[in-house]
Amino acid sequence: MNPELPQLKASEHRGGFGLMDVFIILGIIGLAWSIIHFASGMLVGFDERAVPTLDESVWSIPYYAGRTLLRMWMAFGCSLLFTFGIGYAAAKSRIARAFILPAIDVLQSVPVLGFLSATVAGFMALFPGSLFGVECASIFAIFTGQVWNMTFGFYHSLVTIPGDLQDAAATFGLTRWQRFRTLEVPASMHSLLWNSMMSFGGGWFFVAQSEAISVMGKNIKLPGIGSYMAAAVERGDNTAAFWAVAAMLVVIVASDQLVWRPLIAWADRFKMELTESTEAPGSWFYDMLRGSVVLEWFSRRVFDPLVEWFAQLSVRRNGPRRVVAKGSAKVQYLFYVCVFSALVLFAAFYAVRGLVDAAKAVHAGVSLEMAGHIAWLGVLTMLRVFTMTLLATLLWTPVGVWIGFHPKAARVAQPLAQIAASFPVNMTFPIVVGLFVAWRIPMNWGSILLIAMGTQWYLLFNVIAGAMAIPNDLKDAARTYGLRGWALWRTLILPAIFPFWVTGACTAAGGAWNASIVAELATWGDTTLKADGLGALIAEVTQRGDTPLILCSIGTMSIFVIVTNQLIWRRLYALAERRFRLD
Amino acid sequence: MIQTSTSPKQAAFEKSPVIVELRNVTKTFTVAGGSEMKVLDQIDLAVHEGELLALLGQSGSGKSTILRCLTGLATPTSGRVLCYGQPMEGINSHASVVFQTFALYPWLTVEQNVEVGLMAKNLPRAERDAAVEKAIELIGLSNYHAAYPREISGGMRQRVGIARALVSEPAILCLDEAFSALDVLTAENLRHEMITLWHRKDATLKSVFMVTHNIEEAVEMATRICILFPRPGRLGLVLENNLPYPRDSKSPEFQSLVRTIHETITTLTLPDHPPEPTIVSGAPISRARNRMESIPYVPVGQILGLLSILRDTPDLTNIYDISNEIGKEFGETIGIVKAAEILELVDTPKNDVRLTELGQSFLSADRIGRRLIFSDQIHNLRIFHIIIEYLRLQDEVEADQILKDIASALPYDNPEKILQTMVAWGRYAGIMDFNASARTVFVLKDEVEHAPNV
Repeated sequence: MNPELPQLKASEHRGGFGLMDVFIILGIIGLAWSIIHFASGMLVGFDERAVPTLDESVWSIPYYAGRTLLRMWMAFGCSLLFTFGIGYAAAKSRIARAFILPAIDVLQSVPVLGFLSATVAGFMALFPGSLFGVECASIFAIFTGQVWNMTFGFYHSLVTIPGDLQDAAATFGLTRWQRFRTLEVPASMHSLLWNSMMSFGGGWFFVAQSEAISVMGKNIKLPGIGSYMAAAVERGDNTAAFWAVAAMLVVIVASDQLVWRPLIAWADRFKMELTESTEAPGSWFYDMLRGSVVLEWFSRRVFDPLVEWFAQLSVRRNGPRRVVAKGSAKVQYLFYVCVFSALVLFAAFYAVRGLVDAAKAVHAGVSLEMAGHIAWLGVLTMLRVFTMTLLATLLWTPVGVWIGFHPKAARVAQPLAQIAASFPVNMTFPIVVGLFVAWRIPMNWGSILLIAMGTQWYLLFNVIAGAMAIPNDLKDAARTYGLRGWALWRTLILPAIFPFWVTGACTAAGGAWNASIVAELATWGDTTLKADGLGALIAEVTQRGDTPLILCSIGTMSIFVIVTNQLIWRRLYALAERRFRLD
Repeated sequence: MIQTSTSPKQAAFEKSPVIVELRNVTKTFTVAGGSEMKVLDQIDLAVHEGELLALLGQSGSGKSTILRCLTGLATPTSGRVLCYGQPMEGINSHASVVFQTFALYPWLTVEQNVEVGLMAKNLPRAERDAAVEKAIELIGLSNYHAAYPREISGGMRQRVGIARALVSEPAILCLDEAFSALDVLTAENLRHEMITLWHRKDATLKSVFMVTHNIEEAVEMATRICILFPRPGRLGLVLENNLPYPRDSKSPEFQSLVRTIHETITTLTLPDHPPEPTIVSGAPISRARNRMESIPYVPVGQILGLLSILRDTPDLTNIYDISNEIGKEFGETIGIVKAAEILELVDTPKNDVRLTELGQSFLSADRIGRRLIFSDQIHNLRIFHIIIEYLRLQDEVEADQILKDIASALPYDNPEKILQTMVAWGRYAGIMDFNASARTVFVLKDEVEHAPNV
């Protein structure tokens, strides 16, 4: 438990070339080989009429897991680039901000899965005759599932960088790139990493769903663990399904242990406060890497010179302090404004044209009666989402508080809850549906359980975090006044965890809308169970390829999400911020 | 030894070349409700080569804004900033800043933090390392290269801040309250080192410009002291300080200079009024009644504390002694005294503070009696009539409306702070309260009728 210990070990190792370094070299070579191996599989030809079948053997699972993992990382890379570009623009330009923030707000609320059919068609047209089009559609689905909170988090930490740190950067004449590297990225590293981890965890859901797509009446299966699972369920092959679930768990845990935990441990130095933390996050893998001679050589001889070279380049390009005369700076500024407004106009033109087309299609294809029916289904799904949130709250609040009050339990339970939240439960829906069939549980109620399976964990680990964050002196005070039972809950626990509960419940409810698309319509072998709800409708019309209905149902769901966000979650957030802040 | 700006010696001094100067600089900020607040009004200030110039003023007087204008961190609303005679654009490349909060990057080591000072210069690695090493050694950080800021003490952190500012070899070093976040001993030590650094003749560093609210600090370090008066910031007095270094704060010359500054601040902040017929008539005549006067941002508790101290220690009258007694900065003490004075609970002949008769009866009254006196005195302050008028017509009034009115009545004040103070005083007087969620000021329901004064 001594935080000093791993550091000491690490510096002992640094003496010479050890066994560890052999492993690391092998690991690097292996990583490079796998990336090439898995990526080459993305570029094979693809014929819509002769869809390749998946290998049913259990031994092909590692390959499929690798393909899925690569897809995840490519989507994450895109999200990261988007985050840096768009988040930075929003923070730096008032004009850009006026467009970006509302756009993110809306896009966050749109059920991504509903768009799969449109994006698959679009990307397939972009890469005709190649599997890469379908790959892109899948990557795009994951991307849209994880990018928004990362971008928003980055934007938020950029605008909350303490003023004196910015002033220091300004007085020492740092260029934009230098500022980005020495101030802006480090200052937002913490939020960036946590948001990335959350997004990455959420991404598994989308990858599992987007690998096996049936759109426009076509059944497309990308090689991956999600589609392997789907195929196994179709065949009713329980052994294969079990191994697929196990492999999924291994991949998730490995991503957590080999990538995210080390990154979090490394990023501890980027914390803003100037006091030494009592308990720094640790990671065995990170400690191991730190002892490596190979990595140190690599960082000193390859990475540092590269950074140096790039820094020199950026200074040279920007010139030493303000060589640009005032006149030409104005011209430059005008030029940028022109380019930017041209881009905006261009985008706006297409957006408006798209909206008009969509409105026309909806007007032609959806009767008023149908629209009313869709709204009614929306209400049903909304009730389901709220019931789920309520039940999960009643169940997990006491459990979460108990865990949070027992640090030892929390140390075990919190990562477990995070992994549970990452696991794409939609993979297992067919099995659960099989149980529904056997026990004759109506889907209208059963779907609530399906929705909860994936999203309840957000509530749990936020409540744990909230209970852990209650200051000890408040707890001690409660104890000295003899507060117990309901009095203790009412005066201390509930108010203290409220802000965390709001975060968790909002995330869970947001995820629940997306989950309803896969949870309200599920197939077990030959049996298809369907609940009355907007999610089921979206799933159905997407499979059929009924464009007007797709547009109308997705639009309705987006409106439901936006309205509940505005009417409920925003207010609860504001209330939490105003009344229940712990500082 | 002490000369005002018109003296011949001052004129001689001004012959040394100017590094950076403000000419007729005015700065306004937009405050809550969109109204403008004038922070600096027509400031002329030059930093000459070879001097250690201290800008002295209480918090909120705009001294940091002057520093920001000189370094290019802020642009004046009107007026010009010249650097070596040339109009300055963007960041002043001849100046470096040492911040009150150190402003170190917590994720960089000491060495890397110092390196930040050189980033703008496109130096080859070897040259850069040498410069960093030199600065680190100069400031006494030799064993701390690889330490992170969170691992070292406040004094060491500020050393890193100074090394970072010096590494780019600026002509002028700007200290923004650089010692006020440190404990007394560390600050004293660093001040001495700062003077030594400035004294070295081999360095490119010509001048130091420091901003401070600490009078002793300014007298100990500076060759010239400018006193800035708030609302809006304007230069009240410029003193030349030729005491030889190292300066002994116990020496009579040092003490007399400190006293001069105290007296100047006191007379300008608490001006003496023509003798009032207080004793004859039995009740003081309100001065505040006839003009809109700002109120200092002072909580009621501090006014009460001041009154108690005045009652309990009758021989404690000098405002500077009071400041020492209550352990507050002189600027803050002046604010508390001023608040008590506009409420007519104390009187301030010259540098003295005395309880008025009203003050005496206030102290001997019980809680309700005190509240009534306080309420009466508040009703005499014209600024309070902004709220009182509204509340006469309606039960509650929106804070934004009041803020707008305050901003137009007192263009040099921060309306938010004025409102906060007014609500705090009004609560104590039992005449109003503030609803934070609706942002309204409302009449207290159980308002005590205003009985005529005792």
